Amino acid sequence: MSATDVGLVAARRLIAAPIDGVFALAPGDRPLVAAGDSVVVGAPIAERLRDPRLDEMDIPEEVVAQPGGRWAGPPRRGHDRGPGGEYVFDWNGRWRVATGDIADAIESPFAGIVREVRPGTGITIRAAGRGIRGVVALGSPTRGRLQTSASGELRAGGLDVGSAGTILVVGSRVDAETLTRARAMGVCGVVVAGLSSKERRDFVASEARQRAALHRLPAFAVLVLDGAVRRPLAGAVQAVLAALVGREVAIVTDPPTLVFDLPNLVIPDPPIDLVRIRAGALAGREGRFVRAVGPRRFAGGVQLEAGIVHLPDGTTAAVPLGDLERFV
Amino acid sequence: MTIEPRAFLALDSGAATTAAALIGRVGGRWRLIGSLSMPAGSDVEAIISVLGDRAVAADPSLAASLELRVGNAVDLPRLEVASHPPQRMAVVAASERALAPLVATASRSGWRTVSGSAESMDPLAMTTMLLDGGVAGVLVGASDPPAADERRALGELAALAAAAGRRRDVTVVLAGGMSEYLSAFGDVATRAGEVLLGPAAKRGAPGGPLAELLVDLALPPDDARRALGAGAMALAEILDRRVDVVEIGFDAGTRAAAGPGVAGGAPVLDLAVVPTAALAPADPDDAVVDRVGLWSTWGADRHRLRDRLRELRIAPWADATADGSTLRMAAARAALGRLDEWTPDWSERPPADLVVATGGAWAVAPAPAVALALVDVLRRPGAGQFALDHARILAPLGSIPDADERRAMVSDLVDDLLAPLGTVVTPAGMHTGRSAGSVVVHGSDGSTRLDLMPGSLALIDLPPGTSAVAEFKFRDTVKLGARGRHFAIDVTGGLGGLVVDLRDVPLKLPDRADLRGELLESWQTAIVTGREV
Repeated sequence: MSATDVGLVAARRLIAAPIDGVFALAPGDRPLVAAGDSVVVGAPIAERLRDPRLDEMDIPEEVVAQPGGRWAGPPRRGHDRGPGGEYVFDWNGRWRVATGDIADAIESPFAGIVREVRPGTGITIRAAGRGIRGVVALGSPTRGRLQTSASGELRAGGLDVGSAGTILVVGSRVDAETLTRARAMGVCGVVVAGLSSKERRDFVASEARQRAALHRLPAFAVLVLDGAVRRPLAGAVQAVLAALVGREVAIVTDPPTLVFDLPNLVIPDPPIDLVRIRAGALAGREGRFVRAVGPRRFAGGVQLEAGIVHLPDGTTAAVPLGDLERFV
Repeated sequence: MTIEPRAFLALDSGAATTAAALIGRVGGRWRLIGSLSMPAGSDVEAIISVLGDRAVAADPSLAASLELRVGNAVDLPRLEVASHPPQRMAVVAASERALAPLVATASRSGWRTVSGSAESMDPLAMTTMLLDGGVAGVLVGASDPPAADERRALGELAALAAAAGRRRDVTVVLAGGMSEYLSAFGDVATRAGEVLLGPAAKRGAPGGPLAELLVDLALPPDDARRALGAGAMALAEILDRRVDVVEIGFDAGTRAAAGPGVAGGAPVLDLAVVPTAALAPADPDDAVVDRVGLWSTWGADRHRLRDRLRELRIAPWADATADGSTLRMAAARAALGRLDEWTPDWSERPPADLVVATGGAWAVAPAPAVALALVDVLRRPGAGQFALDHARILAPLGSIPDADERRAMVSDLVDDLLAPLGTVVTPAGMHTGRSAGSVVVHGSDGSTRLDLMPGSLALIDLPPGTSAVAEFKFRDTVKLGARGRHFAIDVTGGLGGLVVDLRDVPLKLPDRADLRGELLESWQTAIVTGREV
């Protein structure tokens, strides 16, 4: 195997670092941290309005109001804090203030340093730790103990309350029913290789209903590592996840990442010639890249650059280079 | 002392594809020696190294004359462009009527758009949209002068947009009558993002000065799509013909119409970059999926098709064989359709003499199938040549800053950079059910006669590098550029030969998926194998 040849295979980063998690804010949401602050796991970083509205206010002249600044209403009885809001814009001498009656706390699912706070836009926190990038994360940022499902593929009936508080690694694919049941049973998140469009749509609709409800369930996220079709998790990713079992991890949705803070965890680099077949008849299998063999004709009369892959069962196969990926 | 290099590399780093071309000085002019396209995650140095080594192995004496040795291609000078993911622009206006042309202009000018008007969106939702972290530009527009239904809301809209401009890195464009509200933005000189004044958007004509301004803001100086426009213009000048370049890429579709200067005037260029015409949009909605389904011979349901489109987005080079290749072509046709819809001004121009296809969407397709995809979607009565920028060097050549140098380079490489796909003749207005007439192709080795049956694709073998005169005699008056019954057209050969496209303009496809699939497959087979249908 030549290093040049294997360089033709698209590389995918196994471990991402640093990770700047973004927590979106809307006008009226109240940031509780400032740039440079250090946050611990579970620390509240903002209050999100559940029912934001825009009120018109007469602001006394002595008050220096500016867009993005906080408006504080008169205190309620006793020492209770008065209503709060955010100055949005001034029109015809009256300020429009984004405010609301109920606010939910947003907690940081990982420890880190606040990089940037932009009222109405978002908070960026650089995570202390590393992560595994996915292709999409649905739901809201969450954290929990990592646990792998016994069978490798999880069905709704296979869930039990013992998994409450965990982030479950469920293998190649999962359906929306399992996801909603997992959320209802207190599971904090799910990590899966593939989530089909139908299951994704159903789950997103269920999440939207949950968000609209008065009594909400705790944060829950689904991290999709590979795509929309069924294929097993890559061996290199499985090895990292296996090392993380029983440890506290977090799922952030922007960017879609599984974050872990284990400085002492040594993750060896995958062998340089280890490749994974993403698509085609051999999808999901892994092997050793032998050499690039130039253009080859494949099914459908398509000419593609190909490489020879030596599979663990002793066979070799010519695979389009576009179907291969390697972890670095 | 500077020694002029004997070879250099042209690199086009796309979001999905990295294309490398080796260009060398042979016989006193620049020639394309070889090219290689690979998935974007591949190591560029490895791609160049393999490309150089293959050139050495294929012709050692040529390689020696270019001072090219095994392993040293990575040291060659590089001419490089990269395509950048389109950024998001929030477009707001006082009324829905004023909003529509602004969205039409921004959407064809390199921006993904989100939009709302004071009529349909409450101020809080509009502020949320403008403050979204993904928004990089804000376009606030009004008619010039503002219409009666706009005037009432303009002041509040300006105050809202100026307040949302607290994200000082965001570029703000005040278009048309909105320019009068510049003072609402305070001291614009202190902002990191510019506040620019632009002309009003014109209803029904999304191109023009505002589009040029937005394209300029959207594309960085080294952007491949910007360079594609300059490359198209150089090509038009060299060939002295109207050239249309059509690109379907991972993140956007591009259309560049270039024409040579008339009577000593400057050459003309209209560049449209349409992010919604990307090969596989990130989150394909039902409209996108259905459109791909319309062109698909695969017969999958909507969910499975959406899954495949998502996979295509995640790994655009994977699964490119068998039905994966037909899915790509269906997705490319759907993207071409979206590109056509967002560039209505193209249909008002005379058809181009030469249409050049480029972009990652065509990287794994057989050349004649590319021509068929183009004529399936961009249908206009007339005759034109089709070609493929097979090595993807038009954009790197377009990035040469000096116009004379750029023209000289394109002039040297023009025969190498375009793979001729053939000539397509598309008459319109024939009566179905009987022969429409006949065509006699007078070539250098004799004449070929063919009956013309409406609804079919008539194919005449005309290899690349050959030319002929096609003499058409129709029974009825048809539209073929002009209206008439007799036409004599100069045609040139290509990988698909001469294609007389007697199908409807625009194309009518059966509603039933199975019949549609059969028909599409028969056309595809015909064009690839050269058998008439």
